[in-house]
Amino acid sequence: MIETILMAHVIFGSGCILSALWVLVDTLNATEANAWRIKWMSRATALCMWLAVLVGGYWYVVFYHADKAIILQGPWPFAHNYFMETKEHFVITLLLLASYLPIAASTNLAANKEAARLVLWVAGMVVVVALMAEGHGAIISAGVKVGLLAKPH
Amino acid sequence: MENRSFSKSTSSFGISLAVCAVLNAALVIAKESSKIVADRMQKITGHHWTTHVLFMVAVFVALGWSLNRKNNQTDSVTSSTTLIRIVVGGVVGGIVIIFGFYLFAD
Repeated sequence: MIETILMAHVIFGSGCILSALWVLVDTLNATEANAWRIKWMSRATALCMWLAVLVGGYWYVVFYHADKAIILQGPWPFAHNYFMETKEHFVITLLLLASYLPIAASTNLAANKEAARLVLWVAGMVVVVALMAEGHGAIISAGVKVGLLAKPH
Repeated sequence: MENRSFSKSTSSFGISLAVCAVLNAALVIAKESSKIVADRMQKITGHHWTTHVLFMVAVFVALGWSLNRKNNQTDSVTSSTTLIRIVVGGVVGGIVIIFGFYLFAD
């Protein structure tokens, strides 16, 4: 049951990447016709990111200490010392970046190419930084796994 | 005719985002370097990370809102290239500082 929290964190994170990618592609072809979709998908990006942080944050504060002990005693202590330490802090910037996307996308992007350029940069950064967060998460999970495998039976 | 300026909230919250990204990295360094800062943050909400997130969100909203109010009074408009440079520079700079800190300093 507890693991569903962690799966929800990953699913919301993936939702954030996909919706930001959607915004990126739609903005490359911004017209009056897809303006509503860009606005709604940018809101979906922010919502997914907030849910990912709330769910992941709950896991981190309440349950992660047990995983941390396994990682630090195992063969991959860097999974916590570097990857978890960096991830827990750069996701705060990612949260603000994803929250900014709907604000940047609130302008009429079909009529304002400069505003569209800003949205492309913001959506692109959300995709890249969120993919980094997913990669860090995978290394942290692997750190727990190799820590458990290394335990004497 | 094509509109080339940003809305005031786009400029205000863009600048706020850039400032917060760098401030976030500075808070990481302060927290990891000073036990007093880490302990204070721990005490406020019960977990240093929760305090960190709440503080950064509060600063982002407060700074963006106050810059927006100021912009409404002065009628100033940030140029597009400048705003993009500020946003990208702040976000990339803040994240690079965090990566560099844990790689070399911590």
